[in-house]
Amino acid sequence: MTTTAAGRDPALGHEDMYPMLLDSIQEHAVVLLDVSGRVLMWNAGAERLKGYTADEIVGRDFACFFPPDDVARGRPAEVLRLAAEQGRHEVTGMRVRKDGSRFLARLTFTALRGPDGSLRGFSEFSHDLNESKEAGARYRGLLEAAPDAMVVVDGSGEIVMLNLQAEKQFGYHRDELVGQPVTNIIPAGFSERLVTDALRTPADALTQEIGTGLELVGCRKSGVEFPIEIMLSPLASAEEILVTAAIRDISVRKASESQLAQTEAKYRGLLEAAPDAIVAVGEQGEILLLNAQAERQFGYRREELVGQQITQIVPEGFAERLAADGLRSPADALAQRIGTGIELTGRRKDNSEFPIEIMLSPLESDEGVVVTAAIRDISVRKAAEANLLVKLGELQRSNEELGQFAYIASHDLQEPLRMVSSYTQLLSKRYSGRLDADADEFIAFAVDGANRMQRLIQDLLSVSRVATKGRELEPTASDDALGDAMRNLQAAIDESGAVVTHDPLPPVLADRAQLTQLFQNLVGNAIKYQAGGTPTVHVSATGDELEGWTFSVQDNGLGIAPEYFERIFGMFQRLHKRDEFEGTGIGLAICKKIAERHGGSISVESVKGAGSTFRFTMTAVGGAS
Amino acid sequence: MTTASPSAPMDVLLVEDSPGDVRLTREAFSETNGHVRLHVAYDGVEAMTFLRQEGEHEHAPRPDLILLDLNLPRMDGREVLALIKEEDALKTIPTVILTTSEAEADILKSYELRANSYLSKPVQLVAFNDLVQSINDFWSKARLPQRAQK
Repeated sequence: MTTTAAGRDPALGHEDMYPMLLDSIQEHAVVLLDVSGRVLMWNAGAERLKGYTADEIVGRDFACFFPPDDVARGRPAEVLRLAAEQGRHEVTGMRVRKDGSRFLARLTFTALRGPDGSLRGFSEFSHDLNESKEAGARYRGLLEAAPDAMVVVDGSGEIVMLNLQAEKQFGYHRDELVGQPVTNIIPAGFSERLVTDALRTPADALTQEIGTGLELVGCRKSGVEFPIEIMLSPLASAEEILVTAAIRDISVRKASESQLAQTEAKYRGLLEAAPDAIVAVGEQGEILLLNAQAERQFGYRREELVGQQITQIVPEGFAERLAADGLRSPADALAQRIGTGIELTGRRKDNSEFPIEIMLSPLESDEGVVVTAAIRDISVRKAAEANLLVKLGELQRSNEELGQFAYIASHDLQEPLRMVSSYTQLLSKRYSGRLDADADEFIAFAVDGANRMQRLIQDLLSVSRVATKGRELEPTASDDALGDAMRNLQAAIDESGAVVTHDPLPPVLADRAQLTQLFQNLVGNAIKYQAGGTPTVHVSATGDELEGWTFSVQDNGLGIAPEYFERIFGMFQRLHKRDEFEGTGIGLAICKKIAERHGGSISVESVKGAGSTFRFTMTAVGGAS
Repeated sequence: MTTASPSAPMDVLLVEDSPGDVRLTREAFSETNGHVRLHVAYDGVEAMTFLRQEGEHEHAPRPDLILLDLNLPRMDGREVLALIKEEDALKTIPTVILTTSEAEADILKSYELRANSYLSKPVQLVAFNDLVQSINDFWSKARLPQRAQK
């Protein structure tokens, strides 16, 4: 131990006071080391800071104060070498207490040399930075003032210091973390980052703004993990590597981000799942986005279209519509229902064109009005429509041909039939009674058959004439038509003594000749199908100019069983034997044809034995306008 | 002008392609007790040859009445009618359309071509006979211009 010359004289006899002096220094550990670093002397401050008594530590290597990593790196020898070379070496670093706990210390090593300059040993002054009244307090104050959790980590990845926020965030007490590996609270990613950050200058680190930090996972004492963002900055003053980490809990931000991402994903999903191609177009007609259907429909990849003009895929009509739609409110646009869109032509990448229907809806956005267009390929529908038109034409033609066929067939059948009929009649006339009884009967059957066939053909012609020879429907006084029918039936009326009455009848839209025939057939039937009493027939009409008119022809005749209500309007349907009532069963079929040609219908209501009421409907004169 | 004698036979040219109809007509006229000489042309071309007294019909008489069907092979009744009414020598011969057609268009066209009347063949034999009787009665009484001199 050396003393200054100046201090020797007054201090003479006080040498025993030196240890007392040293022991009085409580804040600092003062340790005397020999050249190899063995502890020679140990003051009370050292005992307090490091936990060893002088008896326990004197004679041991001071390397036991270093964390094992430092020892492994040869740090203790390094420190002594630097102190020997430079006379004095200051360092901030972790120190290990007797109980294994650590603390951040400020250390000053000084080489002690004899008068000859030979190295005699080293002194080590150290104090706990956490307790430091000066630098430590300042440092701690800064840490505590930070809004984020702050953790100071040394080069070996051990936690040196932390602030209150860090304690709260990770749920540990300070003592539980200091000296522990940072992986306890940040299991992965920190160390790797530490290495790269060690290579950065503090200036670089400072330019790394908050918000661009590294996102990692923090782990609480409870084991619960939570997302964190950390910003690292190396401590400029530290000779040993110390890194300050600002740690921010980003649970809330992450949650909202993922919610946003989910919402976006949902909309994107909706967009992609839409059955139609959807293209969003900006005010200048540029394509902003499109879905997969649009890619498929037009044969482009997404990136080929975004930013291009909509005219590339919809050459005409869209821009004009865009202008018009820009003037509409979103509510108006919404009111435009699917199916009422405009039909335009789309153009694929290969320049082929196809019919489309588009529905536009403007959307106010930050970038101005964005128009969303739902574009439907209506090729199939168009083809179906065209096909339907063709089929309709074919149907009309076939219907006309059928009508023509019926007419021509029945007309042309008449010619040969006239020969058969005429010559059998001639036979009958010339040779009746001149051959034998059989011949007379045979001839009679032939004549009868030919006559009936002529009637049938005449009836067929009458039916087909309803359609082929019908005249334009025009306002017709229906009581005039009934009058005509009565005149035609005069013989039958007179013969049967029938009483035919009628209410005032309205004018209707009709082919007068056909309306006459309709009345004539119905009234004629009413007179004809009687049990033998006096036929009474009443014709009336109900309805109005708006709904049209329903005519009734009511009789007191035989009546019809309900099971025949439908059948009697069929062609050649008869309910009576030929010898009871004449007729081919065509009259009501003609009535039905006429009613239908006039846009109406015909039906019957009847009780067997108590008369029938036939009803048919006609369009009112005002109904057509 | 001379008055045609009621007893003088009437020459009638029937232009008809159906032998059945020809026979029916012949039968019907035979029942009229009139003096009708019925001549038959089976198509329009033959009818014109007859009327122009050409070829085999060189000695054919000028008919007092023509009964003309409309639907005929080679040259149809409308063409025949048009030719008859265009030729000075023939246009005064009464020409009656006797056909199965009831079409309005045929009726109108025939009168436009100056047919003297238009008759539809009735389906029933009795009615047909009545019609032929009427034709005979009417045209045997009708006064006609004196035959043009050859």
